[in-house]
Amino acid sequence: MPKRRNSAQSSRRNFLKGAGLAGAAAVAAGPPVAADAFPVAPQQRSKAALPGPRQIAAETMAPADDPVNQTSSGGDYMVDVLKSLDIEYLAINCASSYRGLHEAVINHGGNKKPEIITCVHEDIAAHIAQGYAKIEGKPMAMACHGVVGLQHATMGIYNTWCDRVPSLIFGGNIMEADKRAPGAEWLHAGVDIGQLVREFTKWDDQPVSLTHFGESTVRAYKIATTPPMGPVFLALDGELQENPIRDPQSLRIPKFEPVVPPVGDAAALAEAAKMLVAAKNPLIICDRVARTPAGMTNLVELAETLQCGVIDNAGRMNFPSRHPLNQSFRRSMIGQADVILAIEMNDLWGTLTHFRDRIVRTSHPATKPGAKIITLGVRDLFLKSNYQDFGRWQDVDLDIAGDGEASLPVLTEAVRRLIDDETKAAFADRGQKLAKAHLAMVEQSKVDATIGWDASPITTARMCAEVYNQIKDEDWSVVGTSIRLSWMHRLWDFKKPHQWNGNSGGAGIGYNLPASIGAALANKKHGRFTLSFGGDGDFMFSPGAVWTAAHHQIPILYIIQNNRAYHQEYMYLVAMAARHGRNVEMMDIGTTLKDPNINYAEVTRGLGGHGEGPITDPKDLAPALTRAIAAVKAGGPAVVDVVTDPR
Amino acid sequence: MKILKTLAVKVLAVAAIGAAALTAATAQDAPNGDAANGKRLYLADRCFTCHGRVGEGGAYNTPAPILAHTALPFQGFEGQIRNPVNDMPAFPPALLSDKDIADIYAFVRSLPGPGSPKDFPLLNN
Repeated sequence: MPKRRNSAQSSRRNFLKGAGLAGAAAVAAGPPVAADAFPVAPQQRSKAALPGPRQIAAETMAPADDPVNQTSSGGDYMVDVLKSLDIEYLAINCASSYRGLHEAVINHGGNKKPEIITCVHEDIAAHIAQGYAKIEGKPMAMACHGVVGLQHATMGIYNTWCDRVPSLIFGGNIMEADKRAPGAEWLHAGVDIGQLVREFTKWDDQPVSLTHFGESTVRAYKIATTPPMGPVFLALDGELQENPIRDPQSLRIPKFEPVVPPVGDAAALAEAAKMLVAAKNPLIICDRVARTPAGMTNLVELAETLQCGVIDNAGRMNFPSRHPLNQSFRRSMIGQADVILAIEMNDLWGTLTHFRDRIVRTSHPATKPGAKIITLGVRDLFLKSNYQDFGRWQDVDLDIAGDGEASLPVLTEAVRRLIDDETKAAFADRGQKLAKAHLAMVEQSKVDATIGWDASPITTARMCAEVYNQIKDEDWSVVGTSIRLSWMHRLWDFKKPHQWNGNSGGAGIGYNLPASIGAALANKKHGRFTLSFGGDGDFMFSPGAVWTAAHHQIPILYIIQNNRAYHQEYMYLVAMAARHGRNVEMMDIGTTLKDPNINYAEVTRGLGGHGEGPITDPKDLAPALTRAIAAVKAGGPAVVDVVTDPR
Repeated sequence: MKILKTLAVKVLAVAAIGAAALTAATAQDAPNGDAANGKRLYLADRCFTCHGRVGEGGAYNTPAPILAHTALPFQGFEGQIRNPVNDMPAFPPALLSDKDIADIYAFVRSLPGPGSPKDFPLLNN
């Protein structure tokens, strides 16, 4: 638990009062020598003039209109509003511009709902909130300095935006110029600090009264949690947080009522059902469908009713990995489908297109000519202009605006109404073929995984197999992965809604470690075993997140896939050199993390976690995992540094 | 996200290489190569960054095929290096001579191929 200090009385005025009394005492007792004072020869000591009675009075006695105590503060009301929204946690890197809220959370709120999660960087706080929301299904909050802290937090907020995750973000600010102290308070204030993140938040405001704060915070929460979800930002005025509540009788806490997610138009869903039932080879592709545990159930029902294949881009835990209709590793099906239903897709064009990254960049459709494309989702209902996360335009034949998860039962029912005995038999036949293909794909994955089984560096397939062997009987939850590591989805049995929560969203490096800890924070009270795989490069963006996990006793097993490089960039550099017919062998300059190798186990231990590794021999991996899992079960973070082959 | 997508395209990539090699010579027709030198080149020229040090495959923009004990005929292998069908960078003679390619081919052919999953208990969970 954080240290508690009893320093509430150490205001500057009281400090000066103490100094004045000490000075008075010095007249009688001679000059005092503090234990930590610099040794100075007596003859060199300059004699400061002792303060006279008027000066002491001016420094120590408050004028009648300058009160020194208060019985309430705006921050107390702010905490009450957060409690009304059932905000469990507030991730922070402490800052003076929201000291009023910070103190109120602890002393007025009892540091419960929200409980402060101490972070050593605002980017960590933002990513913790992102990871938490994807497991818990609701936002937590984060707070930061309004200018410098918010600039630190931007990468985490951008990932949260691209990932369509709700998050409640506060930035402290001192709005009135005449209230800012000289120096840092001017450097850390802005006229419109929300402007920093406006292009990648769903909504923002800067309340000027407590009533305004209450309404805007509840409104912000509602906007954040309404699909398409996203982060929201509120600038908090320092005076508003710190000053006494002038008229408590006039304040009330606005009532929050969640928005019922929009369901697609019934006629349009009926038309989609007609197209899907009539199709010879219908295919479902999806990315961020499941926003609650019902999402996966709803998607399984539709797929089983149609007996059609599902390609899951795994933005959420959408579809069980070992379901016979899961065809995620058979992308060739896209070229065979005559009707494609794309649900809550992030990059539809990218999924339906073959793109070539060569000197002349070209692309051609992966779909067969004449294939009909139906889209269902809410992503396009809220877009912004500057950042291009919406991807390239994709022609479609039926575009249904509606929340995927909420619309699926209506669509499934419409499909059921169209199925007769004849179509049922044809569907069953199709399902059997798909099941056979699924099993063949799983078997092929196992065969591929055997290659280099005993090699050092360790293959990523062996690493994933070793980990699964030790956690498969736990109530596990995988909350992160390194770039293009998919052996878990090829080999493991994902079947529960909390067993996967997607990726960064914005592909901004530095997501994986803190977001995984945020997800682990959410999993903790459910008693789940949280684990995550992450790259070494990602880890080094914010290793301090390990300290947060240790400090708050957040259990998580974190496996570093240590290929000692920013490996995707390494490969790009090799391609650039080869394209020019120039030296390939020097392309590790600026792309690799070696000379010296980073010892992640030592870094982890230094931050209060359990560290294992570096592990280079696959035979050493199982015992290291056993020790690390025991440490996690004791209630904290454990990091296992596995030196792996690149991919 | 594209993680699953890119790895699933693996089948396509392998098929593309295989198709290019349909009319090519068989592995037995390959020139004699020096596997030891091929290993040195495979690592030095960073083939391993995409295909793995033991030829287990990997991923670049799309999946990079398994090369361990490849069944790909030499001409197909050479063709893919000189004029690849996908995002793989082309390696011109200035970077890899014909002999270099033969040596690398000898190396990847010498690598042990896949085993039977039945012999790997951890793969049967």
